[in-house]
Amino acid sequence: MSDLLSPGGAPVPPAAPAASRGLWRALRRDRWAQASALVIVLVIIAALAAPLLALAEGQDPYTYHTELLDPANGTGAGTLGGISGRHWFGVEPLTGRDLFAIVVYGARTSFLIGLAATVVAIVAGVLLGASAGYTGGWWDTVVSRVTDVLLGFPQLIFMIAVGAVAPAAIPRPLLLIAVIGLFGWPRIARVVRAQTLSLRGRDFVRAARALGAGGVHVFRRELLPNLWAPIIVLTTVTIPANIGLEAALSFLGVGIPPPTPSWGRSISDAINWVQTDPMFLIFPGAALFLATLAFNMLGDGLRDALDPKTAVRR
Amino acid sequence: MNRTLRFVGVRLAGMIAVLLVVSFGTFAVFYLLPTDPALMSCGKPCTPENLAVAREFMGFDKPWIQQYFDFLGAIFTGRTFGTGATAIVCPAPCFGYSFQQNESVLALIGDRLPVTVSLAVGAAVIWLVAGIAAGVASALRRGRFTDRAAMTVTLAGVSAPAYLVGLLGILLFGFTLDVVPVSGYVPLAQSPVDWAWHLVLPWLVLAFINAAVYARLSRGQMLEVLGEDFIRTARAAGLPERTVIGKYALRNVLLPVVTVFAIDLGTLLGGAVITERVFALPGLGGLLVDAVHQVDLPLLMGVSLFAAFFVVLANFVVDVLYGVLDPRARVS
Amino acid sequence: MDRRDFLKAVGLTAGVSGAGALLAACNANEQSGGAGTVTVSSGGTLYVLYDVTSQRLDPAKSSSLAITTSGLIHRRLTAWTTSADAPATVVPDLATDTGRASADGKTWTYTLKPGLKMSDGTPITSAEIKYGIERSFDAAFSGGLGYHKTLLDGGSSYTGPFKGGDLASIETPDPQTIVFHLARPYGDWPWIVSMPAFAPVPKGKGTDANYDSSPIASGPYQVASLTKGVEIRLTRNPNWDAKTDLARTGLPDEIVYQLGQDSGVIAQRLLASSGNDAFGFGASFVNPAQLAQIRTSPAAKNQLVTSKSGALAYLALNVRRGPLANLKVRQAFQYAIDKTAFQIATAGNADLAGPVASTLITQGITGREEFDLYPAPPNGDVAKAKQLLAEAGFPNGIENLDFPVSTANNRADLAQALQAALQRAGIQTKLRPLDDDAWTAIATGNDDNAYDLTLSSWQPDFPSANSNIQPLFGTSEIGNGGYNLSRYSVPEVDALITQAQGTVDPAAAGKLWAQADRRILQDAPVVPLIYTRNSFLHGSKVGDFVIGEFPAYPNYLQLGLAK
Repeated sequence: MSDLLSPGGAPVPPAAPAASRGLWRALRRDRWAQASALVIVLVIIAALAAPLLALAEGQDPYTYHTELLDPANGTGAGTLGGISGRHWFGVEPLTGRDLFAIVVYGARTSFLIGLAATVVAIVAGVLLGASAGYTGGWWDTVVSRVTDVLLGFPQLIFMIAVGAVAPAAIPRPLLLIAVIGLFGWPRIARVVRAQTLSLRGRDFVRAARALGAGGVHVFRRELLPNLWAPIIVLTTVTIPANIGLEAALSFLGVGIPPPTPSWGRSISDAINWVQTDPMFLIFPGAALFLATLAFNMLGDGLRDALDPKTAVRR
Repeated sequence: MNRTLRFVGVRLAGMIAVLLVVSFGTFAVFYLLPTDPALMSCGKPCTPENLAVAREFMGFDKPWIQQYFDFLGAIFTGRTFGTGATAIVCPAPCFGYSFQQNESVLALIGDRLPVTVSLAVGAAVIWLVAGIAAGVASALRRGRFTDRAAMTVTLAGVSAPAYLVGLLGILLFGFTLDVVPVSGYVPLAQSPVDWAWHLVLPWLVLAFINAAVYARLSRGQMLEVLGEDFIRTARAAGLPERTVIGKYALRNVLLPVVTVFAIDLGTLLGGAVITERVFALPGLGGLLVDAVHQVDLPLLMGVSLFAAFFVVLANFVVDVLYGVLDPRARVS
Repeated sequence: MDRRDFLKAVGLTAGVSGAGALLAACNANEQSGGAGTVTVSSGGTLYVLYDVTSQRLDPAKSSSLAITTSGLIHRRLTAWTTSADAPATVVPDLATDTGRASADGKTWTYTLKPGLKMSDGTPITSAEIKYGIERSFDAAFSGGLGYHKTLLDGGSSYTGPFKGGDLASIETPDPQTIVFHLARPYGDWPWIVSMPAFAPVPKGKGTDANYDSSPIASGPYQVASLTKGVEIRLTRNPNWDAKTDLARTGLPDEIVYQLGQDSGVIAQRLLASSGNDAFGFGASFVNPAQLAQIRTSPAAKNQLVTSKSGALAYLALNVRRGPLANLKVRQAFQYAIDKTAFQIATAGNADLAGPVASTLITQGITGREEFDLYPAPPNGDVAKAKQLLAEAGFPNGIENLDFPVSTANNRADLAQALQAALQRAGIQTKLRPLDDDAWTAIATGNDDNAYDLTLSSWQPDFPSANSNIQPLFGTSEIGNGGYNLSRYSVPEVDALITQAQGTVDPAAAGKLWAQADRRILQDAPVVPLIYTRNSFLHGSKVGDFVIGEFPAYPNYLQLGLAK
């Protein structure tokens, strides 16, 4: 990402091999991080292989099976929301659509939106925040005021407006990622800027500047290593927040339009059913919870591994 | 002293500029919407004549840019809608008049503000204290059970939708255990005990949802700080661990925490939409949602501006606080 | 004798004072139906739990049904009586009868009951009624039910009493008599004068917007206090005389509205029925998940009341656009739809969702004729749909139909059931969920090309087939905020509408409306889906909670509480 900062597009050497080897070694010692990485990989595989998994079950997430519903109240007939050999997670209340297929297909939507929007927000937030904090002056003023404007902006109305106005030709996922990213970066930028302001006055940064190091060099070698901790923490909480936001936006009319499954929408629907058909909430809820937990655990591991000071103490 | 004054002056000017941009942006976005505010006041059946009458009365027949300047002007000069016996007068400072609620926007905000402030501040105190405590405790016992447990619990908060936490909280504490009231708001002046009693559950819900970021941020920051030279020096000098953590480390943990906190509190003062809704608290968040759903432009403008004001103010306070918390970050 | 049957009988025969005396004598009575019966008596405080945050109490601005909130505060020239097993009827309220029409149906005369007073002591005379109606024309008080505004002669250009002076088409020859001159014959006028704008307002009062918070009452209750967005407290109007009122029982001493409540929390509070919640009811619909919960608890079932019928849910097909301009394609839609799936998506089962619809005129409306031009099993006839599509020149189905839908009221979920059903016949639609305002703007806007099909629901404003047909299929209702979502315009139908509206005899008018119903469905501009039942939940000590055949809402005016 540092390439983006170099003004003339000057080539920047890739990360030192020693650093990544150290990272790998540190991660190999952390069992929690390994387990988390495994969960994330599994979910990503499930997302990619969703059609195959649904095929293995013999279902798809779109077909209505109203005959499988309990005529008394519209939930899946049978035990635990209609769990059976044919419907591994049972069926959705009121529609009879297969919940397993919905959950694996939903992983695609939720991961795509959650991850991509987070990447947009983090990259923009770190670059703008760090550059503002480091260079100061007019650039700092501009970035700070823009963050103020975006944070103070009534996002709800903006999102409704965009959803209603945007031409149908723009793919909805792209629009969602852009909108969530746009309102996500100022928060990151504020934290990174504050951290950079503090680092700028430190001896090691001063020393590097006194030795004639350029902005990009200082950013990569001196600032970034000290910014990882808050960045990783913010990233790992932003991903689940964005997955949730995608669901909220579905209700406002700018989410992924139904019937394309999404965890967020399933969870929002399932909340009403928590007393009558708890499994409807538990399956997508557990999927989301496991995935976000894994992201956070991995985040912790990465943070520790990347941080030279704490790593030494191990 | 002179430099401080200049700093404050420049920032104040910046705040006003930001508010102007926000208000203009809100106005412009509203006109992007394919909705018609006059439709809400047109009646049923809505004939083209009725629609024209409603539009003219509300001032929506003018070009939108002129409407924006009318809005700004009214803040200083006040405004009158309609003519004759039935005219509606909105005296300066007029931040608009809500035709849907039959009230000046300023009065509506004044009614709702105490509720939102009570909710936001109470919850913020809880999550700040709980979040930082959990984060610091986790950092000091990194990798052990306390660490994993604290992080998992706070994570549950951030992963669960506010609506779910609120509703489950009401079901458990309000109905099953029947220990707290489930809805409503009692003004502080009327009865401080009832005020707090009605807010306990919303506070806890909001704090549970928000604490995770603080716990994780302070954990990460604490680990960072513990590796710093000055902590090692302090420890080497034989200072008691309590002093090292409490006096030196914690101070350095607060910087990013305060930044996020200011943004969160600022945003929350603009209205905690879902929590207010679930607990039937008549705050600013509910007012904003009403404004959006009733296509109530004046109210939307007023509440947005107000919310933006809090965010901008919070950021200003943070900038000033940096200087107090971290002398190195003082703005030059 | 059941009191409601009795009321209906006297309502139609205008035996006013005798009915009132009997009414006062039988304040304690039982509600039949449901295992738990609640014996109600006079007194107590009724709580109305509502998810909305505002209520219009100014009669000029109110668009509420005659049997709900505004009816508690304002009497009008006529009122409605509802019954669980008969169509709603119009009965005299402030007037002594439901109106006397001239032979041409253009002049309607009413005589007021003597001796009635408003809450501030003002006698209710023809001047107060006339002023109230005139006031509704002022731009400052627009927003209410305004059918009269175009029907009264000269109404279209009238600007209200403050700027436009006197409206000549309302005559008040003496304090007890009021005469309306209409621009055209209109047989449903007795229903029009039951609307909020026909409530009395003391002359000179109500010049500012605050009248909405403190209107002067003519009904059993007056506003004691109002906190915007939070609470409305109604107390007894000492000047209301039960003996003169056929529509209202006025049993509770106080009625308190708690606004801005979450619907999930409302349901839990009413089911728990602890403390004051036992004396409350939910003013908004119970959602499918709550219905499922209630049905698993025998005790809760007694607190649930489901209407026998309700609003027509329909799929509107834009007849001016693309393949849907083809009649055969629209007919294919009639067979492709799975109404069973739609019922289940609505409320979990057909019983709670409401019966399958095949006509435009809803159940509980006088003159309705039952017929089905496109007979098929409730889950559709896919083969027939495919055959019609092939005949229309689409043997491989139709792709990419734009299907905007409001996200309010579960509509996006309901639309998915339709989408899946159409898919079976090879009709592919693209759902476009929109915030309700945005959807309204697109669906009722002027652009004929803004969508292919959309899902809507229509609850008539008054129980006449007129209110089922004209707003949805009249050419004048296309765009400009009108609800002709199919953009259907056929001169023959417009002529039929005008003729039926001008027919004063209800039976004769009913025949014409039934004819229009059939004629429109021959063109298949909409797919009638179901007559949506509404379910409401009330506390354990609320009685006389009855939903009539029309409208599908509880009659607030007759609720009572157990001790």
